[in-house]
Amino acid sequence: MGSLSASLNIALQSMLTEQGALQVTSNNIANVNTPGYSRQRPNIDETPPVQLGGLTFGTGVKLQSVSSLRDAILDLRVNQETQQQGQLESFISSGQQIQALFNETSGTGLQAPLTAFFSSLSQLAANPSDLNSRQAVITAGQNLASAFNQTSANLTTLQRNVDLSVTQSVSKINTLTAQIAAVNTQVAAATTGGQNPGPFVDQRQQLLNQLSSLVDVSEIDAGNGSLTITTSNGAPLVVAGQNFQLTTQPDATTGLQHIFSQGTDITAKITAGQLAGQLQIRDQEIASTKTSLDTLAAGIATSFNTQHQAGFDLNGAAGGNFFVPPPAGGVGAASSLTVAITDPSKIAASADGSAGDNANANALLALQNQPIAGGQTPLNFYSGVVFKIGNDVSAAQTNQQAGSLVLQQIQDLQGGVSGVDINEEASNLIRFQNAYQASAQVASVINSLLQTTINMVGP
Amino acid sequence: MSIRLNPNLLPDLLASIQQSKQNENVATLQLSSGRRVNQLSDDPAAAASIVGNHDQAGQDDRFLQNISTLQSKFQVADSTLSNVVTVLTRAISLGTEGANGTLNPGDRQAIAGEVQGLISQTLSLANATYQGAFIFAGTAVNTQPFTQTGSAVTYNGNNNSTSVELSTGVSIGGNLPGSQLFQNASGDIFGSLESLNTALLSGNNIGAAVSQVENALSTVSTQRVFYGNALNQINRSENFLSQDKINLSTQENALVGVDPAKAASDLVQAQIADQSVLSATARTLNLPTLLDFLK
Repeated sequence: MGSLSASLNIALQSMLTEQGALQVTSNNIANVNTPGYSRQRPNIDETPPVQLGGLTFGTGVKLQSVSSLRDAILDLRVNQETQQQGQLESFISSGQQIQALFNETSGTGLQAPLTAFFSSLSQLAANPSDLNSRQAVITAGQNLASAFNQTSANLTTLQRNVDLSVTQSVSKINTLTAQIAAVNTQVAAATTGGQNPGPFVDQRQQLLNQLSSLVDVSEIDAGNGSLTITTSNGAPLVVAGQNFQLTTQPDATTGLQHIFSQGTDITAKITAGQLAGQLQIRDQEIASTKTSLDTLAAGIATSFNTQHQAGFDLNGAAGGNFFVPPPAGGVGAASSLTVAITDPSKIAASADGSAGDNANANALLALQNQPIAGGQTPLNFYSGVVFKIGNDVSAAQTNQQAGSLVLQQIQDLQGGVSGVDINEEASNLIRFQNAYQASAQVASVINSLLQTTINMVGP
Repeated sequence: MSIRLNPNLLPDLLASIQQSKQNENVATLQLSSGRRVNQLSDDPAAAASIVGNHDQAGQDDRFLQNISTLQSKFQVADSTLSNVVTVLTRAISLGTEGANGTLNPGDRQAIAGEVQGLISQTLSLANATYQGAFIFAGTAVNTQPFTQTGSAVTYNGNNNSTSVELSTGVSIGGNLPGSQLFQNASGDIFGSLESLNTALLSGNNIGAAVSQVENALSTVSTQRVFYGNALNQINRSENFLSQDKINLSTQENALVGVDPAKAASDLVQAQIADQSVLSATARTLNLPTLLDFLK
């Protein structure tokens, strides 16, 4: 046999449940624009029935729990794509600065001074005893040398700037891992305590996403909702509530910052994120471009000097060095390229010692078509350098564009699972409102019935 | 039940706006710069080819400068030799006049005096310079090629000649040594003039001396063809180089230039796309929600 008080109780329970559900809805609407927020859902269950006199009565409803809706796999995918994007974006942004130094379509670069240098030799060959033509060769040589010096110096400046960004990235990573470690503890505590860890997981995912844009991250479930975060090569970043700082230390020879985890140099093992892009620019792109320029400068200087020494100057004396000989091995040749002579009569244009002979000038000129730089003619070698830089940036741009579409799609899927939909919340609002009003009505009816009953037994 | 859509459309819309703005920027940049390739990454292969193209154009410019240097030098040499020819022609007519048996020794001496004047005139022609360098000294351009000691003229230059590139792979001789022009074995100008002088003074063998001068004249005329040919070759190269420069500029345009009509229509398309995206975004952001219908 049912009882009025049980019914009243059910009505009151129901009002409390709808009240809770309304609070969840209200919270969802409030956080509609909060980055990283996952929509929450009230889990409403019927309470266990009771047996009364052979009849089974329902006992009403209960707000069992509130849970956040998220898809851990999508979170992981978003983080992975973010790592690729971070790497490619930082590579492209510095790569564009490198390619601006070699923008041959608008006339910046080494082609013009290279061509002008060989042109001056050709003019010398046409008029070998003319001092003006000779002076023009020295001037063109100096222009070529200063173009090499300047380009090399610009590359070094870029490299230093990127090096600074590396240090900054590492310090951002350390800040983020400390925050993640703190939130990790809260997630574990909430999970163990049977609470909804959702809000903390939201926060952790936000931080992890920021971390992913900086460095390659591998996430391992450590139980209780806690995550162990390492780089993809296993250098620990966060374990439970503890974070492991990365440190930087300048390399003894290059002066560039190397990255250490627990005393191990992991510079070469960072594979994604902005940090990887910066390292790729600093240690590969700029380094290889500088090496190429050195090869070119050393090739030109060395073969030019050799041929120059085979000839005779305007006074019939044997030719000396035209360029200051490049350092052995060629390292630093581009930054140190200098013309050794200032006296135009010292140019060895003649092969037989007579003032009007131009055979050695012709031989010097012919160097432009000989494989004197890395097995190629100077100009072909330089074209190769230009192509490589342009191609590397272009390939990164293509990958970045493709990746950003993938990321967008995954984020859409993620939004489909976790995003707050105002229409959905509005319909929930009405549902819960109606249920609340109905329960209140029930309570009121029961109340009046109770009143009737009380009056029945009244005086 | 359908898959739940992402209720937050804003990131996708913003990405579309960004994309259409970028297309608009690219089209504007192409149109204003006149180039399809504005940085290396726009087309790395074309950018690398441009290096060779610009180098070739630079070389053509330099060849054209060389040509103008050579042209002036050759013209000076040619006109000098033309003066030499005039001198020799005059000497022949003087010799023919001197060979006339009715002349007395005094008349012949007067003619011989004029021949001596012709010798020193030839000497100064043979020592002609261009921009301070002796033209007919072989490659010893700083040494005066011909000096006279007594009646003998000595050649102090050398027998070398230079070679100058007119265009890639095409070279031309840059000079003729003076020995070949003025003291050629098949017709020695100074020697024959000196013989004429001696013959006129003595009155003997004038006819033989005149024919020696005639030999020298025909030799120098033959040699002079070198400069005429060279000037012709230079003109041909000049034409070739001018044409090559036009070709190179056409090639450059094909490599990195933009088709203005296409760039303009790209720009219009990008602008239309941009406007559509913006208007779609504005409408989407203002769409009513269920809440608007709850009263």
